[in-house]
Amino acid sequence: MPLDTSTYNLALLRVDGRRWNELRQQKGQLGVQPSADGSAYLEMGNTKIQCIITGPNERDTKSTSSASTAPTSHGLGATVAVSIMIAPFATVDRKRRGRNDKRLQEMQTTIASGLAATVQGQSYGPRSTIHISLNVLSQDGSLLACLINAASLALVDAGVPMTDYLVACTAGSTSSYAAADEEADPLLDLNTQEEQELPFLTLATLGATDKVVAMVCESRVQLTRLEGMMATAADGCKGVRDFLDGVVRDKGELMVQEGAIGRGEVVSSMDLD
Amino acid sequence: MTSLKRSLESEQDSANFSSKVYVRSTKSGKVQKIVREVYLRQDIPCSSKICSTCRNTAPANAAGVVNPFVLSDKPAGTKEYPQGHYLVPDTNALLNAMDLFEQSTAFYDVIILQTVLEELRNRSLPLYNRLIGLTKSEDKRFYVFFNEFRLETYVTREEGESINDRNDRAVRRAVQWYNSHLAQTKSKKLPTVVMLTDDRGNIEKAQADKTPATRLRDYVSGLENGERLLDMIAESQEKGISRDKKAADFLYPEHFSLSKMMTGVKNGMLHQGIFNVSPYNYLEGSIKVPAFPKALIVLGRDNINRAVDGDVVVVEVLPKDQWKEPSTKIIEEETVTKNENADGDEGEDLVTEKERRALQEEVKKTHSTSSEGRAQPTAKVVGVIKRNWRQYVGHVDQSSVSQSAKQGRKQESVFLVPMDKKIPKIRIRTRQAGELLGKRILVTIDSWDRDSRHPIGHFVRSLGELETKAAETEALLLEYDVQYRPFPKTVLDCLPKEGHDWKVPASTDDPGWRGREDLRPLLICSIDPVGCQDIDDALHARPLPNGNFEVGVHIADVSHFVKPSNAMDHEASIRGTTVYLVDKRIDMLPMLLGTDLCSLKPYVERYAFSTLWELNPDADIVNVRFTKSVIKSREAFSYEQAQLRIDDASQQDELTQGMRTLLMLSKKLKQKRMDAGALSLSSPEVKVQMESETSDPIDVKTKELLDTNSLVEEFMLLANISVADKIYQSFPQTAILRRHGAPPKSNFDELSNQLKIKRGLELRCDSSRALADSLDACTDPKEPFFNTLIRIMATRCMMSAEYFCAGTQAYPEFRHYGLASEIYTHFTSPIRRYADLVAHRQLAAAIDYEPMHPAVRSRGKLEAVCKNINVRHRNAQLAGRASIAYYVGQALKGRVADEEGFVMKIFSNGFVVLVPRFGIESVIRLRDLAEPEPESTFDAENYVLKTSGSRELSVELFQKVVVRISDAKDEATGKRGAKMELVKVVG
Repeated sequence: MPLDTSTYNLALLRVDGRRWNELRQQKGQLGVQPSADGSAYLEMGNTKIQCIITGPNERDTKSTSSASTAPTSHGLGATVAVSIMIAPFATVDRKRRGRNDKRLQEMQTTIASGLAATVQGQSYGPRSTIHISLNVLSQDGSLLACLINAASLALVDAGVPMTDYLVACTAGSTSSYAAADEEADPLLDLNTQEEQELPFLTLATLGATDKVVAMVCESRVQLTRLEGMMATAADGCKGVRDFLDGVVRDKGELMVQEGAIGRGEVVSSMDLD
Repeated sequence: MTSLKRSLESEQDSANFSSKVYVRSTKSGKVQKIVREVYLRQDIPCSSKICSTCRNTAPANAAGVVNPFVLSDKPAGTKEYPQGHYLVPDTNALLNAMDLFEQSTAFYDVIILQTVLEELRNRSLPLYNRLIGLTKSEDKRFYVFFNEFRLETYVTREEGESINDRNDRAVRRAVQWYNSHLAQTKSKKLPTVVMLTDDRGNIEKAQADKTPATRLRDYVSGLENGERLLDMIAESQEKGISRDKKAADFLYPEHFSLSKMMTGVKNGMLHQGIFNVSPYNYLEGSIKVPAFPKALIVLGRDNINRAVDGDVVVVEVLPKDQWKEPSTKIIEEETVTKNENADGDEGEDLVTEKERRALQEEVKKTHSTSSEGRAQPTAKVVGVIKRNWRQYVGHVDQSSVSQSAKQGRKQESVFLVPMDKKIPKIRIRTRQAGELLGKRILVTIDSWDRDSRHPIGHFVRSLGELETKAAETEALLLEYDVQYRPFPKTVLDCLPKEGHDWKVPASTDDPGWRGREDLRPLLICSIDPVGCQDIDDALHARPLPNGNFEVGVHIADVSHFVKPSNAMDHEASIRGTTVYLVDKRIDMLPMLLGTDLCSLKPYVERYAFSTLWELNPDADIVNVRFTKSVIKSREAFSYEQAQLRIDDASQQDELTQGMRTLLMLSKKLKQKRMDAGALSLSSPEVKVQMESETSDPIDVKTKELLDTNSLVEEFMLLANISVADKIYQSFPQTAILRRHGAPPKSNFDELSNQLKIKRGLELRCDSSRALADSLDACTDPKEPFFNTLIRIMATRCMMSAEYFCAGTQAYPEFRHYGLASEIYTHFTSPIRRYADLVAHRQLAAAIDYEPMHPAVRSRGKLEAVCKNINVRHRNAQLAGRASIAYYVGQALKGRVADEEGFVMKIFSNGFVVLVPRFGIESVIRLRDLAEPEPESTFDAENYVLKTSGSRELSVELFQKVVVRISDAKDEATGKRGAKMELVKVVG
């Protein structure tokens, strides 16, 4: 059994060897599911998400029954429908989750309303729906943040217009609420162990700006520490945004190299160097 | 389409990333496979002050602060490493010799590897916590190096390699890296980094790849005071050698496996409880288990089966024909096992002939008494769930030391006789037996194996000569686990910067005045024992125009100075209470606060927390309010002074009038409490008078109780009850309260039976009221002390009161049995009790003075605090009593006095006498009565012991006797104490 989060102060190292302001290793790929309208695969540490976009389609109430929906452009644009599936093998103990898991539904709603604010849905009309299916293949903390990032990436692949990437990241604090010690460091991008032991929040911003689109905090934390945590999370979001952007650009370059598209043809606005 | 599938594997094997996979099993037996990421890096500093490279790359925390480098640039050298050295202990070295690392004479500049820290945490959490404590101490210079996260020192487990071998390799790799890393600094005096281990294989491998390594024992013997330190290495590692001699024949039955015990307990075949040893008979223990109304008795060495007082054990009840009465005989370990040899106990039976004989009489007696169910169920210990071993203070049994050892340096086994008679003799191996004789020493128990009659332990340190004041006081503090070290710097840093010059700010606009009432005009005074410096409380009373009285209790506002969760608060919560010894006070808070800034001294302004009542002339509460305030005490009285002033009719000033009002009201309050069924209990309290200059004890006096004592007490109780009500209303889940459970009826069985037989009196205990009334009726017209004696004995049947968190009990359970109050807390002594400080914070939040700090709101935390202060409170009481007992012994030194005493317990071979004059009780054994030991017959039904032969006597329970008290050293415990001899039996 390795050490727990209380050893942070000994050498300013976290349980997995990171510093307080470091993101975990990330990997991303676009178009992993060629038959879908858009798809992406994203890893943040050991949290692994696959996202499939279907649509925009004509609205179909049957298929959105378990999804959470949110209208874009004040009801004038397409509706975003998000559904999350957690694979039974995603956690340490194999377990099957029902579709009506309240926590999942809450995450779906958060993601749907966050994306609805970012997607330029008016180009599709109010009777269309964009289906976002998120499949959690492996879970190791920062789940909500990772889901949001994967959805952003897949929407880019699907070619849905957005104002910017919607990016998210978690931030925590090195000591628990009750310890009440003033010298707590904020932590970026928590893994499961840290999430279980420490207070944390999830923050989603619009691209590299400091515009907060969503913030979720379910643990008790001192008000004085909140600001530091939010600033750290916002910095993390910038890092995530750069990473996602890099994935998209790499993909674009690859497509140019392989001749799938001609240089300067469709992607003229993309600065490929 | 073709290009879309790209292997992710190609990126995976980047050099700075790895993952850790391990398997763990849960409590329910499920096996889980856990995968963790490991990020390898190169910016983990070596933390040596020699190294400048690391200093430049050292990481900072979020505030930009870099942890200071720990390891000295001029570490101590030894013969082997003249250039100085850093130590890298492996896990076994820490497991076996943590005491060594805590020494202040050696073991500086130690590098603790992450590998070792993790292993230690798995093996022993207490040791891990001690080690973490060491790494925080600035002067010990312990540095934790996270070798598993540093790229150069990370080691992957090889095919077929055991996890231990892998960890050993990781330690060696780290040592090699350190040495090569430091070599790059080109420092002139290059310290060697040395691995410290006890694993032979590890040493050999280290020699093979030229890693500096040494055995713990070799290293310690090379140190300056090595011989003393050698004894502190745990006994267990010596085993390897002695085991081979012969297959040990086991003396004790084997303990059950944990799972077998658990199943047994679950299906009711076995019972779990805490093992308590009888103070009069070391071969008898008792265990209270829920399944039986009476405690189970465990009799004899083989049934006790290596359990030590305080252990959590599992027992099996013996068949009914082996049930016995609790012993009526005094058996002391010292007299029975006097001639045992510490060195070799092979070939001895587990139960020696002597012990068997000592217990024999028990059996005889159970056959003779009519079996009317007086026999109690007996049990045998089948396993130990949790050892409650701590460090024990004692002295080396002189007879177990061989003559040669007194000069030589040969290692040999000696017995340590603990001060606490309930703890068995401990066998320790030492090379310094000669020096240890006549010293108070501290030891720990390492193990108690089946093949060893006695537990095996090792020497920790010597406290000094037996019977010197310093050694005995320290022994006492250690024995009761009182934290007596000076306050560390971090705590002192929390004190106000002004020091003794601190004053209540003159301007009422100052933030300190926020929410405070100005009560300076009130005529407030304090009443305390003579010479009291930490004045917690002060009082006032004044008549109101409507004929009622305003009464105020003002308590030192400690919570203003001690803020939650800072170092001082933390220290206070650990100490829990101030401990009062006869010649010494171990403070809970630093002196500056306790005796000056918080203390409600007269003539100066002080912050206070006031409780103000309006009481009608019948002392009924009309209303009550609480406020933070500023007060100015007019006078600090002693109880005697206050009494004199009240009684002096010529004093007619307002202050005296106020005190008279208080006295009048307090009498009414007391009457009301008594009517409600409050108990007036008693314990033999005495006071030791000291010579003022040398602080040598000169006389012993029984404590006198004046009306003013009860005056203060009544108002403190009233304040505590009012506060308890208030904080419970505001915080029904987290309020800190104090309860006193009703004692189970069976506790009084013996006492009421004794009273019925000896005096024809009846003791009723269905309610505290009934008990109070029947105690009042227990009088003997000829003997005024008889009532007090019964009260003392009744007090010992009670439960002890405890702090608890309101949410953990149902409201009816809140009751304080002794005070007959529905709800109670401690509020009035925040300088000396931590519970009061917590109550202050809660009350401050309840009256909206300040927001509730999370630490006072978290129930889990408060429960832990309660648990700790309950233990501390009890230990403080015991330590105080032990201190008085010691000084009474000292005061009697060289004197012989004939005093009256009372028989309060009777055995078949002796009896216990209480001497109220000195507040001491002592055993008088038959063999003390005359030489040779007189014949005796013991009538257990009627509590009469008749002797014949060399001395003819008849002693019965509650009888008055005259004893001659002289001082003598008790050979068994090494304590000096009063020795009693029977002079005559009165009446």
